[in-house]
Amino acid sequence: MNKSATMGTLLEMRGVTRTFQVSQGLFSKSRTLQAVDGVDLDVKRGEVLGIVGESGCGKSTLAKMLLGLLPPSSGTIRLEGQDVSGLPRKELARRVQPVFQDPYSSLNPRRTLSSIVSLPLEVQGVRSDERRERSIAMLDKVGLPRRFADNYPSQLSGGQRQRVAIARALVSNPEIVVCDEPTSALDVSVQSQILNLLMELRRELGLTYVFISHNLAVVEHIATRVAVMYLGRMVEQTTTAELFRAPRHPYTEVLLASVLTPEPGLGVPDAGMSAIAPDPLNPPPGCRFHPRCPKAFSPCTTQDPRLVADGEAAVACHLYTQPHTAAA
Amino acid sequence: MSQSVLEVEDLSVTIATPSGPLQAVRNISFDIKRGESVCLVGESGCGKSMTSLAIMGLLPPAAKRSARRLAFAGEDLAGASMKRINQLRGDRMAMIFQEPMTALNPAYTIGDQLIEVHRRHKQQGDRIARERAVYLLEKVGIASAAERLGQYPHQLSGGLRQRVMIAMSLMCEPDLLIADEPTTALDVTIQAQILRLLADLQKEFGVALLLITHDLGVVARVADRVNVMYAGEIVESAAVADLFAKPSHPYTRGLLDCIPIPGKTAPGEELGTIPGTVPSLIGGIQGCAFMSRCPLAQGVCAEGAPLRHTNDTHAYRCIVEAA
Repeated sequence: MNKSATMGTLLEMRGVTRTFQVSQGLFSKSRTLQAVDGVDLDVKRGEVLGIVGESGCGKSTLAKMLLGLLPPSSGTIRLEGQDVSGLPRKELARRVQPVFQDPYSSLNPRRTLSSIVSLPLEVQGVRSDERRERSIAMLDKVGLPRRFADNYPSQLSGGQRQRVAIARALVSNPEIVVCDEPTSALDVSVQSQILNLLMELRRELGLTYVFISHNLAVVEHIATRVAVMYLGRMVEQTTTAELFRAPRHPYTEVLLASVLTPEPGLGVPDAGMSAIAPDPLNPPPGCRFHPRCPKAFSPCTTQDPRLVADGEAAVACHLYTQPHTAAA
Repeated sequence: MSQSVLEVEDLSVTIATPSGPLQAVRNISFDIKRGESVCLVGESGCGKSMTSLAIMGLLPPAAKRSARRLAFAGEDLAGASMKRINQLRGDRMAMIFQEPMTALNPAYTIGDQLIEVHRRHKQQGDRIARERAVYLLEKVGIASAAERLGQYPHQLSGGLRQRVMIAMSLMCEPDLLIADEPTTALDVTIQAQILRLLADLQKEFGVALLLITHDLGVVARVADRVNVMYAGEIVESAAVADLFAKPSHPYTRGLLDCIPIPGKTAPGEELGTIPGTVPSLIGGIQGCAFMSRCPLAQGVCAEGAPLRHTNDTHAYRCIVEAA
């Protein structure tokens, strides 16, 4: 069982922590913010791993580390068993590519589409005629015909721009695409087109996605497995079907209960969580979720729960390791 | 005589652009009764925000408003003096904007900004204004409200800023509250809390709510009645249950097909799409604006779409009668 789980692992994070020094004003000492704290995560070949959590939970920092844009403060990230800190920058960039949230700021306004899309190939040292050919072919694949090749981003709609960003990510034949909120800036009718495109490309090219989103309906639709983060920690990981059928961590329950599905007559749910978010510079002791947790009990305030694996699933919650006191 | 807090009849907004007049809002009509929640739903550029700005008299200088009738609590707004509008605005009609970061003044404490509204309209002295500010901040779920009054917007998180905006809009007990995408920038957990809060406050104070959103989930859970906007027009108008049970305009149906619905859409299944793009609203629009993207389009659509009714409160504009 364990063997099959590790066999298909493409990217793995072990004890990955990233801290930032946050200035508190001119005369006070800077403090340490633990954006990502001791995260273990496997990305398996061919899966769509959804990462969810509230803003500030560390999902984008995690994405930047996966992309090699930020080095971890401690811990290791391995790509097919190789520590990425030892990999040449170019090789990592060829194999792991990003699609960012805002296609208005992620494309250079002064370059044509074919030149934007061919930039990753230029970095890899591909000849210029081949670059143009491959970038035009990739633009065509994402639904932008050849006549767009010499246009500028300003001539495109938001959805078309996001297609360009996807073409740029895919042109160097990466194995993993890290999508950080790829449809959040788009209208719903455009969002569905981009999601369809991402799914179609994944089937066709055998891609692996890390899909970061705060939209749980979208994650449920596109992801095969989901990791839930809270305040820098990984609190739950399991298959998408299992997570949405039977969430285990109380935070996951709250998150799912807050989703407004388009069903009239149900009203706005009360997820029963305290509204007051903790200060990330001064995280609570014990379980980081305990001050807001509707199910907190005594060990939660002092002991830090570890992420405990159980088959495909893993959860970091005392309810599952000390169940005797939590029967209520 | 009328129960309507807001009456809008044939409201149009035209924006002057270098390439000609842009018809951002075209002849829309709706009304909102006391204690009722009405949603304007549509995608970017459909004119929903322009509608709210037109009602509040906050349109940019290049935009012109015209309306057969625009009335607040029976009083005409279209012909009202600036002085009168300024009396009503902030006092009896209030607005919550999408971006609390840009809507709050960074140079003043939130206490200053909350109290200013009350001081200006109520003239009951700062002590009463301050008490009301603390009361409302507590009401919107902000802990240690009295200390918060001394803080600046940058010291608050996005969720807290939006709560401050809501508290500010309620400082003078408005009859009409216009909320333009009030939760779009927020996390799902905070979104649910803010919308619950709005619904509770609405019940408690009997406010008429005009909620502008692109999120059909928000619409389903909050609205009593829904107006679907496309290219500056209301293309379908219905009670919320009717709209979701029997979406009748092809655009409404298209929108609903685009979103994955848990339990109904199979994971990974191809989602519906609406091909094409919104037509340019510069110059005149001939016939039905949705024609170029509509799966049911036929030649006669170029002559315009008739208004059809499925019941007293459910109307849509389409040449094809919904099955």
